[in-house]
Amino acid sequence: MARVVVEVMPKPEILDPQGKAVTGALARMGFAGLTVRQGKRFEIEVEGELDDARLAQVHDAAEKLLANTVIEAFEVRSDETSTAPVGGAPADPASVAQGQVSTQPGAAASASEHADAAVPANQPATEAPNAEAAGQS
Amino acid sequence: MSAPTATPDLAQTAPGARIGVVTFPGSLDDTDALRAVRLCGAEPVPLWHASQSLDGVDAVILPGGFSYGDYLRCGAIARFSPLMAELITAARQGLPVLGICNGFQILCEAHLLPGALIRNDVRTFVCKEQRLRVESTDTVWTQDFLPAEEISIVLKNGEGGYVADADTIERLEGEDQVVFRYLGPNPNGSVNDIAGITNDRGNVVGLMPHPEHNVEPLTAPSTDGRRFFTSVIGFLARAR
Repeated sequence: MARVVVEVMPKPEILDPQGKAVTGALARMGFAGLTVRQGKRFEIEVEGELDDARLAQVHDAAEKLLANTVIEAFEVRSDETSTAPVGGAPADPASVAQGQVSTQPGAAASASEHADAAVPANQPATEAPNAEAAGQS
Repeated sequence: MSAPTATPDLAQTAPGARIGVVTFPGSLDDTDALRAVRLCGAEPVPLWHASQSLDGVDAVILPGGFSYGDYLRCGAIARFSPLMAELITAARQGLPVLGICNGFQILCEAHLLPGALIRNDVRTFVCKEQRLRVESTDTVWTQDFLPAEEISIVLKNGEGGYVADADTIERLEGEDQVVFRYLGPNPNGSVNDIAGITNDRGNVVGLMPHPEHNVEPLTAPSTDGRRFFTSVIGFLARAR
């Protein structure tokens, strides 16, 4: 079964009180110089083949429910490690959680790989090869 | 406008005005809202979120609380309750709708009102008596207030920071759609001290403070909340 990851982050211009609270706690603990923004990660098990249409469906679901695009940007990508471990790494969700970008070359899709960019993920991205499928709404 | 002092007695109801209050799983203030409707002279109608029908009510209140545990985002799951489909259609056709606290969050998630509510900038739950200034009496829920009147309504929320993009804020301010503003220190980081807004038609109002708790002197520092309900009852009476 394929897995799709949806990551949701507060937009850069939106205050993130949770991230600020974590940032403050880290500073008090001695972890200097770390600024945190806190978001959400959804791991979605998808029945059947993970094709562009299926990814577009997840994108639609993310836009309608998982994220509030008034205040949040989101990113949809296939989680390759759930089916095909790369470079001998175990198919361990923890390894994905720690990785910044686990998308591999040729991965099924990434609606917006550069989540930090100011471009909202709900806008059709032009740089991603599969954005046409993932970006429609 | 005459000074709005008279409020109906308990027994004095306005036959015909039926105001629904939607109960979601996790709603807390639905009972108080129903009670406020009755105290102010209309027939309270309990509505269940899983129903498909608004039961022919003349107005709807989405009450405060933590619908669906506030999972995902405040109001995000409640917005897709079965009843909401009909409510959204009816609201767009002019049905008076008041969203209080969690109800305000639901109205934003449903895009009946613009913007969103995020966690308080103070990062704590805020529960206090709150002074407000009435910025617009041109809504079905605020007609009985005086322009620029200062009122007191209790405030209790953890995620009451109103945000919207700059264009939306400019439009709200320019089109007189900011209905209430916080007075004194901003309690939650809301942009421009916005406590409540309305849609362009003035039939949908959302605010974070809780007027349903301000209807009886025994349990509230003011009874300013009554005029939300008398406003819509008066509107409905004139509309007949």
